[in-house]
Parts: sequence; C-alpha cells; structure tokens
Amino acid sequence: MLKHHDISGDFIAEVNQINKTFPGGFRALVDFSTRVERGSVLVIIGPSGSGKSTFLRCLNGLEEIESGSIIIDGIELNDNPKNRLTVRRQVGMVFQLFNLFPHLTVIENVNLAQRCVRKKTKVAASERSETLLRKVGILDKANSYPGQLSGGQQQRVAIARALAMRPKLMMFDEATSALDPEMIGEVLEVMRDLAAEGMTMICVTHEMGFAREVSDHVIFMENGAIVEENTAESFFANPQKERTKYFLSQIL
Amino acid sequence: MGAVVWLLARGTERLGYNWQWYQVPKTLFQFENGRFIPGPLLLGLMVTLRITAWSLILATIIGLVTALLRLSDSFIARMVARGYVETIRNIPLLVIIFFFYFVMAPILDLGRFFTAVLALSLFEGAYASEIFRAGIVSIHRGQWEAAHSLGLTVFDTYRWVILPQAIRRVLPPLTSQGISLIKDSALVSTIAVYELTMQGRSIIAETFLTFEIWFTVAAIYLVITVTLSFIVYFMENRFKVVD
Repeated sequence: MLKHHDISGDFIAEVNQINKTFPGGFRALVDFSTRVERGSVLVIIGPSGSGKSTFLRCLNGLEEIESGSIIIDGIELNDNPKNRLTVRRQVGMVFQLFNLFPHLTVIENVNLAQRCVRKKTKVAASERSETLLRKVGILDKANSYPGQLSGGQQQRVAIARALAMRPKLMMFDEATSALDPEMIGEVLEVMRDLAAEGMTMICVTHEMGFAREVSDHVIFMENGAIVEENTAESFFANPQKERTKYFLSQIL
Repeated sequence: MGAVVWLLARGTERLGYNWQWYQVPKTLFQFENGRFIPGPLLLGLMVTLRITAWSLILATIIGLVTALLRLSDSFIARMVARGYVETIRNIPLLVIIFFFYFVMAPILDLGRFFTAVLALSLFEGAYASEIFRAGIVSIHRGQWEAAHSLGLTVFDTYRWVILPQAIRRVLPPLTSQGISLIKDSALVSTIAVYELTMQGRSIIAETFLTFEIWFTVAAIYLVITVTLSFIVYFMENRFKVVD
C-alpha cells in the first residue's frame, strides 16, 4: 500500500494506519502508525486497555489487523503464512506471564526453537543456550524445570529463549508486571544490558524509571491511539498534552 | 462384600447348584506329558488381548487425528471430524459391530478378527478424540503464543509444546476409555470371534458350569483392567510435571 519498503534500511518496523477491533466491537487500535528505528528503544506507556499489548501482538502476527500495513525488516506481515513465520523468527517476544514450556527444562526451553527452526544439533544449540543463560545469570538452573524457579528467574529464562533466535527486534509485553517487587530489578537489569548492547527494543511497561533511563522514544497511548509521541527527554521533562501530564503525575 | 458372598452362597444352595470348581483349571491350562497346553479360556484371553491391543493403538491414532482435524483451520476437516464423532457416538456399539460384520466385511472381504478390531477402534476412537480435544484445548493460550512468537510451525508446536503437555493431562480419562475398550471387546463374541467371552459361552454350552465359568471370566477381565490401571498410574508418576 505505502511504499515504505525503500527506507526499511533505517526502520526495522513500520506501522501504517493499522486498525484492530475485537469481537464485540471493542476498538483496540485506531489508525495507529509509528516507526521504529534500528538500534533504538521505544517505550509504550498508557492506561490499561489502551491497546499497548495489542499493538505488540499485532507486530508479530499474534493478532491480525483489519486494515493498514505492518512491515518488519522489509517484509510485509499479511495473510501469507510464510511471511508471518519469517517475521516471527526475527522478532523476539517476552510475555507478562513468561509462558515458559513447563514440561521442558530451562536449557531445553532455550534450545527448542534453535533445534526446530534453525535445525541446529543439540550440542550446537546447547552451546548458544549456555552462553545466553550465563548472560542472564541463570546458568546454574539450566537443568531445572520452570516450576522450580522464581518469577524473576523464569522471566530471565524467557528473555534468553527469545534471544536464542538472534532476533533483530525484541518486544517486552509488561515483562515485570507479574513479578514480586524485589524481582523486578533483576529483570530490568537484563533489559538494560540488552539496550546498552544496541538491541532494538519495544517495551510496554509501567516502570517509569526504567523507561526514562533506557528509552530513545516514548509513545503514550489511550483508546487505541497515540496521545503523545516524543523523544524520551522531552516526553518526561516537558509533556505537551494535559492527558499525558495527568497520567505522569499519577504514576511518577 | 461379605453380604454378597453370603447371598450367593445361600441362593445357590437353595437352587441346589452343584459347584464343580475342580473342572475350572483345565479350561485354563493343562499339562500333558509335562508340556504346557493352554485351555480354551487362556486361548480366548490371548485373542482378547490381541484385539484390545490393536484396537487401543488404532483408537488412539484415530482419536488424535480426529481431534487435530477438529481443531484445524480447515472447515472441511472440522466437518468431517465432527460428522465422524457424532455419528459413531450416537450408534450402539453392537449395531456398529453388526454393521461392519454383515455389511462391510462381505463387501471389503474382511476377516472376523479384523472386522472386530476395526469396529472397536472406530467406536472408541470417537470417544478418544473428544478426550484428546479437551486435553489440547486445556493447554493455556500462552503456550501457543510463546511457540508462535519463536517462529515454530503448527506441526512443531503440537509435537514439542502442546501434545507433550496435553497427553499428560488426558492419561487418566484415556485409561478409563482403554478399560471400556477391554470390556466392550466382549461384544465381538456376537460375531463369533473366539475371545474370552465367546470361549466362556462355548464351555458353558458343553459343560453347564455356568457359575464357575462366568466367575472365572469376570475375574480374568478384572485382572487385565486392574493391571492396565496400575501401568498407567506408574506412567503418570513418571511423567509428572512441576507447575
């Protein structure tokens, strides 16, 4: 539809005028457009039900859009199942409720996609998995089952699992919202490290301190649309809209 | 239990029933010149075991495939699976057995044993498919989403993520279905497959040992089903998942 393919060298994700209505008539996304620059961190904030999670889920095809277009790394997400698989393999996702595979050990969780999708041998997959588990500080639990870990540990495994596919874009859907307060820090630290390494990230979060610290770009949304979009410094230092000011005053 | 035994004892006494338990062992097995010779009941048991083993395997495959078809994106596949389950579930097993024996078998030139296995597998498969479907649907949506987001295909997602978890959950109801299958296999005696029940009937026809033989046959069924329950019980413990 729109010829943004040309500039996808700069933008890893281009979202043009997407709409999503859930059965029952709830409009989760209304003419939503944005672009994500390679190597940048985009933080999306907003009240519950504003469409933040739905937006992330549309980006890797977990939800289908009704109109508009989504282009990830030059590939348009459409009805073509092959495109959808290709996109999903380049976009890592971390969920609020971890969604680890409970019947597999930690290292098997991280190995699975490498073996199924990348067709790696067990040895090769385990090697990469061990590197990643060391990176998120949980290598000593490699042979435990997810049910034996704390929430923070599970979420770090989930991050390692997503990273195993060498994604070009990582999405975090309220990755710390289901955690006990003292475990939030360990997960945010891993995310901070990722951002510092130059990983392109989209984070839906309620952690304003983290948002302010790592984000390049902030979107505040409500009712499926963007209320305010700005660079991180301007957004937090000098919000333009009344709605944004009110929201920030309530949660900061 | 004691009351039942007492009632039986009294009842048979009043009937003047002549117990001949000593006749029973030779219906099971005999030793001739030191060689073990299985009796008719043991031969029948072997046929029952063969029928149920084949039917269990086939019913599981049919059940799983039907469940997957019913959950697939294809409208036609869903309708075919639905049609099969609804048809089979609403026809008595005996009618299905007769239908296969008197209608399908002559047309397709099927033997009795194969007809019996086919009828039983198709019948139990319909129930098994509902059990599998319930198990698959019970797996949290997040598991699908996590697998999708990693770029796994639908096949890989089923193979490595959904089915291993679903099968653990459906093992208990699937065992009940397996026990039903073993018991239902007695019905194929109606098409003269010489399995346990049929052998029992023919021994009684010759010897009039009605009570002894039916007690023995019932006990043998009990031993098979209880054994199956125990095997599954140990399997369940073996595959337990920490949630």
